[in-house]
Amino acid sequence: MVEAATAAVSTVIRRNNVTVSGRADGPVMMFAHGYGCDQDMWRRLLPYFANDYRLVLFDHVGAGHSDVNAYDREKYGSLDGYAADLLEICECLDLKDVILVAHSVSAMMAVIAATHEPERFSRLILVAPSPRYTNDPAEGYVGGFSQDDIEGLLASLDSNYFAWAEALAPMAMANPETPELAEELRSSFCRTNPSIARHFARVTFLSDTRQVLGKVPTDSLILQCSDDLLAPPEVGTYVHQHLERSSLVHLQATGHCPHVSAPQATADAILQYLASSP
Amino acid sequence: MTDTPGPDPAHLEALFNQAPCGYLVTDDGGRITAVNDTFVNWTGHSRSDLLGSTLQSLMPVGDQILYSTHCIPQLGITGAVSEIAVEIIGADGQRRAALLSASRSPASDEEPAAVRVVIFSAHERRMYEKELVAALRAAEEAEARRAEAEKELHRLALHDALTGLPNRAGLNVGLDQLPAGGTAGTRRLAVLFVDLDHFKAVNDSLGHAAGDELLISVAQRLTSLAAGSNSVARLSGDEFVVVGAFAGPTEATALAAGLLEVLRTPMQIEGLEIVTSASIGVAVAEDGGETLEDLIRRADIAMYRAKELGRSRWELHEPAETDPTVDRLRALGELRRGIREGALRVHYQPQIDLRTGRTRGVEALVRWQHPTRGLLPPSEFITMAEESGLVRPLGAWVLGETLKQADNWRRQGRPSSALEFAVNLSARQLNDPELVPMVEAGLRLRGIDPALLLLEITETALMADPAAALASLTALKNLGVGLAVDDFGTGYSSLTYLKKFPIDELKIDRSFINGLGSDSGDSAIVGSCIDLAHAVGIRAVAEGVETSGQVHMLKAMGCDLAQGYHFARPLPAGLLKEWLDANGGG
Repeated sequence: MVEAATAAVSTVIRRNNVTVSGRADGPVMMFAHGYGCDQDMWRRLLPYFANDYRLVLFDHVGAGHSDVNAYDREKYGSLDGYAADLLEICECLDLKDVILVAHSVSAMMAVIAATHEPERFSRLILVAPSPRYTNDPAEGYVGGFSQDDIEGLLASLDSNYFAWAEALAPMAMANPETPELAEELRSSFCRTNPSIARHFARVTFLSDTRQVLGKVPTDSLILQCSDDLLAPPEVGTYVHQHLERSSLVHLQATGHCPHVSAPQATADAILQYLASSP
Repeated sequence: MTDTPGPDPAHLEALFNQAPCGYLVTDDGGRITAVNDTFVNWTGHSRSDLLGSTLQSLMPVGDQILYSTHCIPQLGITGAVSEIAVEIIGADGQRRAALLSASRSPASDEEPAAVRVVIFSAHERRMYEKELVAALRAAEEAEARRAEAEKELHRLALHDALTGLPNRAGLNVGLDQLPAGGTAGTRRLAVLFVDLDHFKAVNDSLGHAAGDELLISVAQRLTSLAAGSNSVARLSGDEFVVVGAFAGPTEATALAAGLLEVLRTPMQIEGLEIVTSASIGVAVAEDGGETLEDLIRRADIAMYRAKELGRSRWELHEPAETDPTVDRLRALGELRRGIREGALRVHYQPQIDLRTGRTRGVEALVRWQHPTRGLLPPSEFITMAEESGLVRPLGAWVLGETLKQADNWRRQGRPSSALEFAVNLSARQLNDPELVPMVEAGLRLRGIDPALLLLEITETALMADPAAALASLTALKNLGVGLAVDDFGTGYSSLTYLKKFPIDELKIDRSFINGLGSDSGDSAIVGSCIDLAHAVGIRAVAEGVETSGQVHMLKAMGCDLAQGYHFARPLPAGLLKEWLDANGGG
């Protein structure tokens, strides 16, 4: 049984390329990357937490250095499959009172996971979340995109088939101004299997998690950026209104990835929230 | 070199503005702070329009999403992106295929972070890549169709075609997700083994189509009550299993009781109302990692007990209970293999005419040369063969082997050629429509006089379905073969019934012969059996005769024939020949 359990754990660890760093006995902070990237996207944010928290990072199956062979179109045909992976990682590492930091579409995986195992998570930090990217005129919901836009996205993905496929992609010339970055990361960052990226895009941008929001019992923080194409302010407000125990913080940072473009401001907002009593 | 002045700023500006590609500088958010003439001319946008707006806003929405989710973080983390395919929408509204490379310089004390962007027109290359990707998508779709077909094939292999339920293999696959060790938290894996009662009667009386319809109905009823967190599968014939995680035996047997209830509700099959029932065996996993196979085996044992205890009920298998048929399923597999691989033997026990002392015939008795348990008598495996249906091939083989042996002896010209051969028939064989043609064909193949073949049927087999038995026996009788009632006295059949059957011989059960002389009750029974036989004009045969005292009494009672260890045990063909030579048989 012990061996079987160990084997199961190592399967999950390998499948999701789980990495653990930071302070071993600190509270657990888990980071879930969003669409189009992998766990490396958190690297500018981590230094703000590494001294005090145990940091658990992973790649969604199909992204980064995850086990591509584990990609099952049926399982990952909805966000539930990804949420199940997230919970499995928690179970395998026996993580408790997890502060789950989730970006973009992962924020909704976090929401789903928290409804399944509320006791697992102490706080949710939702970075640029959106429960539905496409507009829903019938409900008066503004997600920011039309169905045609999503078709356009899939076409764009096809156009970039060769740019992003790990084996085919052109190498960026070394940037003399960021010398600390290893060559390996430079060449592999956010590279992905184009077919998986396409499927994930469809699942992500056609997902609708609005109904789940009302079932989340966990305290949460919503980080809303300005000029975020993927999560306009209306969406942040919508999430805040429907997540019962949520706080909404507007960041000065522009774009969809404040943890990349403004790590200091992002970390400050998270730390301030964590310092507040639940 | 150190003395050489830096490049002339005018030259640099010319290089920037008249380069053969678009140059732009943006901030981290993509807002354009500088743009060269080439880009301005290529897009048709005015410089003043471009400055201050974002580079993404010149792209279609799909590209914008990718630029936001992929390129901007990559620029932020690695400092560069290379040859990203985008489209730039010109002032004329036309999309222009382009490749975009960019590098980012982080903020310093003097300057904010800046992204330097190079954009190449890439019309030709984009066309080429589009064709490649289209071909790739077509190949992927073909592959997806193939995979879909394979999946369907796989599904078929794992499902029972009649009911659509998983079959045994499908059940194993479906349960892979269940936790190892048979427990799911505090819940325990349990198996309910469901076997319909008297399913064969439906099949026989209404036909296979009705039987199939019944099985489909049963599958639906089981599924409607048990599905959800449980798996329902059809193992074979009228055997179903329900597998699930239960809080304990009480919850599992409660489900069994519920299943019995829904199965008892009458069903409409081909316009007839049919009342079915089932026997259910329940086994709940213990700690220590029982496999699903273990559980099915235990549940099967409990199901058989439910049958024995009167059917239409459930029985729970206690893990500690020892069961002589504990390995029924394994033994069945072994028996099947034994039949196939020739591990069965026929031994022959002489029957003695008590008046003349001569050997009148032999009874063919099957033996199983078991790989580990040695030579097994029929009592060790006939019930199992009977229950599983294996008795048909087994019985056919014994008959064929016996007739072959009779033929051998006859051709050797032995005086024993007039020896009668008695062969046992099981209840299942008796109901087998193939029985009569099989016997007929066997006799013809070996050229054996039908009068020399005697078929023995137990009293219980006769009484199970007297009408059907009468039909079969009459047909056999018409072939000219002899018929005997075996184990007589154990089945409580009445004299009137006995008279209806076209039988030639009554074989008195060995348990009564055993008590001869020591038990006056048994002596009376044996005596009246003999009288009964004679009263209806048939012979009486005593089985299991072991002592000369018994022989003496049987003779006194007027018994016609006897067999038993007192004369000879069942012997292989070769030894029988020696025995006959020594005892003047035939």
